[in-house]
Amino acid sequence: MAKFWVIFKREYTQVVKKKSFLVGIFLTPALMAAFILLPGLLATTEQSEPERVAIVDRSGMQLGERFAEEVKRYTITEDEIEAYRIVEIFELRTTEGERYTELIDSLSQVIQDKGVKYVLAFRPNPQLSDTNLTLITNSDDFRAINRFERTLTDIVSSIRLQESDVNLPVDSVLTLTNRIDLQIRDTKGESIPFEVKYFSALAFVMLIYAMIVSYGSILMRSVIEEKSSRIMEVLLSSVTPFELMLGKVLGLGAAALTTVVVWVVLGGLIMVGTGGTVVAISDSISRVVFNPVIVTFFVLFLVSGYLLYSTIFALIGSILNSEKESQNYIFPIVIFLMLPVIVGIGVVRDPYVIWAQVMSYIPLFSPTMMIMRIMFIAPTETSYSLFSGIVFEGTVSFLLVVAATLLMTWISGRIFRIGILMYGKRPTLPELMRWVRHK
Amino acid sequence: MYLVLDSVRKEFDNKVAVNDLSLEVPRGVIYGIIGPNGAGKTTTIRMIMNIIAPDSGRIIFENQEADRNFTDRVGYLPEERGLYKKMTVKDVMTYMAELKGKRFAEIEDRIDPWLERMDLLDYKERKVEDLSKGMAQKLQFLTTILHDPDVVILDELFSGLDPINIELIKDILLELKRSGKTILFSTHVMEQAEKLCDHICMISSGKKVLDGKMAEVKARFGKGTIQIEIDGDGSFVRTIDGVASVTEFPNYLELRLGKGANPSAILKQIVDKVAVTRFQLSEPSLYDIFIDTAKVSREQLMGEGEEAHHG
Repeated sequence: MAKFWVIFKREYTQVVKKKSFLVGIFLTPALMAAFILLPGLLATTEQSEPERVAIVDRSGMQLGERFAEEVKRYTITEDEIEAYRIVEIFELRTTEGERYTELIDSLSQVIQDKGVKYVLAFRPNPQLSDTNLTLITNSDDFRAINRFERTLTDIVSSIRLQESDVNLPVDSVLTLTNRIDLQIRDTKGESIPFEVKYFSALAFVMLIYAMIVSYGSILMRSVIEEKSSRIMEVLLSSVTPFELMLGKVLGLGAAALTTVVVWVVLGGLIMVGTGGTVVAISDSISRVVFNPVIVTFFVLFLVSGYLLYSTIFALIGSILNSEKESQNYIFPIVIFLMLPVIVGIGVVRDPYVIWAQVMSYIPLFSPTMMIMRIMFIAPTETSYSLFSGIVFEGTVSFLLVVAATLLMTWISGRIFRIGILMYGKRPTLPELMRWVRHK
Repeated sequence: MYLVLDSVRKEFDNKVAVNDLSLEVPRGVIYGIIGPNGAGKTTTIRMIMNIIAPDSGRIIFENQEADRNFTDRVGYLPEERGLYKKMTVKDVMTYMAELKGKRFAEIEDRIDPWLERMDLLDYKERKVEDLSKGMAQKLQFLTTILHDPDVVILDELFSGLDPINIELIKDILLELKRSGKTILFSTHVMEQAEKLCDHICMISSGKKVLDGKMAEVKARFGKGTIQIEIDGDGSFVRTIDGVASVTEFPNYLELRLGKGANPSAILKQIVDKVAVTRFQLSEPSLYDIFIDTAKVSREQLMGEGEEAHHG
C-alpha cells in the first residue's frame, strides 16, 4: 500500500506543479462563464435611451398601473432618465379574453416593427399562478427581465399578503412572497430560457468532457512514456502492475478533483459574498448553476466518469508503443462522451424522450447524458426525493457507472499487467481476451 | 547460499525461454550470467525481479522464497534504460528510492555525495532532459544503487555505456563488492565478464552450459591456448600438427591446442614462416570455453550479439 502512495504522490504533484494547472483552474470557469453569459451579455449593451414597453392588463386589479409606477425606480445611469417608458396600458375587463388575444397579436407585430421592445400581458388572478404573467419580447436582455420580475414580485406579493390571513405562519408568508417567474416568450411564442438552459447544460457537459479527456489523455501519455522510455521495467521491479495503474488513475483523478473543489469553493464564496443573489448572472442561470441536485450529480458523474474512462485510457496506453499511435485511439473514446452533446438539442426540447432516457443508463454515455437531463429536469421539480423523480434516475445511472467502473478496472488491470511489457506489434482483440483470462 | 534459482522455467508461446535453470549465487561476489542474446538472460533476470512469474521452479533468497521484501533490497538496472524526462535529477533519484520503500530522510544524505562522485552535482535541480547521454547513463546507475541495496542486478550492463562510464561504474561495483554487496550482471561481451567476475554461469538457449568460480572454470580447461601476434598471413597455422582450432581476432590469433601438443614445436614452425611479435601460452578465453562447451560457432555467438535484443 505504501508503494501505491508513492506513485499517487508523483502523479499528483507532476500535474499540480505545472503552471498550466493553475492557469486552467482560473481560466476554465472564466471561459465557462463567458460561454453561458455571452449570449445574454451581448444583448445587454449599454442602454442609452428608454426602452418602450406596452402593457395589456386583464388582471382586473390595476396591475398595469402599479407596474408602471413601480418600474420608474429604474433609471439610466447618472442621467435621471427613466429606463423603461410605458407607452400604453391597455386596461381590459377580466372577461375580455378575445380582445386580449387580438391585442397581443397586434402588439407582437409592433414588437417586430420595433415600435416597442417589451409587451407585458397580465391575465386574471396573477396572484394565483405565474402563468398569468407573460412577457413578450425578441430581446434576451437578462437585466430587463430580472427587473421586471423583481417589480412584479413586489406588487404580486403585496396583493397576496393583503388577501391572506395576517396571522400566517412564517413558511406561508415566504410562499406568498415567492419570486415571480415571468413566462417569457418571443413573438413566435417560444420561451426564451431555452438558450439559458441549453448553454449552461452545454457548459457543464463540456466541462465533464474536457476534464475526462484531458486527464484521461495525460494518463494514457504517461503510461506510454513509461513504456517507450523503458522506465516500466524498473517500476515493475518495485510495484505490482495493479498498484501502478491504481496509483496513476487515482493520483491524476485527485488532481482533477482538486480543480473541481477549488471551483465549488470559489462558487460558494461568491454565493455567500453576494448574499445569495449572484451578481450579473440572470436568475434563471443561477437557479441552474447553484442547484444542489445539479451540483451534487455533477461532482458524482465527473468523478465516476473520470474513473471509468481513465481505466480505458490506461488499458489503451498499455498496449501502445508510441504517443503518435495514441492519437488514433482518443477519438473513438471521445465520441461516446461527445454524442450526448451532439444530440443535446433534442434533449433540451424533451429531456424525457425515450432515446435520451435509454442513453442515460448506458455507463459510457451516462456521465454526459444523465447530467444534461438532470440539468433540464431538476430545476423544474419542486421537491426532491431519493426514490422518485430525477434524483432517483440520477442515482440509478450513477450506480451503473460505478459498477461499470469496477468491471473495467478489473479488465484493464488484467490487460495492463501484460501490455506494459509487450513491445512491437499491437495485440489483436482475441489476444486481449486471452490476456484477460490469463491467470 | 545467498540467492538460489531452483529449476526455474519459463515458456512464451510454447517456446522455452528458460529451461529448468538452477543457479547458486554466493554473497559478496560479482556473478556474471553469460551467453549470446536470446539465451534467456533477460527472462531469467526478470523472473528474479518478480516482473514475470516463472512457470515452475523457485527463487530463494536467504533461505526464503523471494518476495517483495527481496526486490526492495535489490537495485535493478534493466538493459533498456530510461528516466522521466520532465523530472529533476533530485526528484527522479528520490522517487526511485521511495519506490524501493525508502523514506526521503533515509536517502537525503546520500544524494549529494553520489552526484558529486558522478560529477553531476551541478545538475541536481535540472531536468533529466537537460542531461547528455553519458550523464543520463550515470544517473540511471545512481538510481539503481541510491537506496543502498544488498544485491545489485544489472542486465547487459555494458551495452550502450560510453568507455569513461564503464570504468567509473566498474570501480563502484568493485567497491560495492568489497563492502559486502552482491552483484549479478548479464552480458554477451565475454571480455568484460572475464575481467570483472568472480563467478560465472554460461547459458545457451535457456539452458545452463557450465558455472562455477572463474578461476576453477578456467583451470578445468588448462593452459591449452596460445595467443600470437604475427606480421603477415597467418592462415597456414590451421595446418600445423597439434593445433585443434584457430580463432582469428583483428589483431591476433588464438590457437587451441590438441591433447599432448607441444607449444614450443608449434612456435618453431610459425617462426619459420612469419615474424612473431608476441607469443603467450595462456588459459582459454571465455569465448573459447563457451564455444567448446555450448557447441556453438564463434560466428553465431558474435552475430547474435549484434542483433537487437528481444529478451
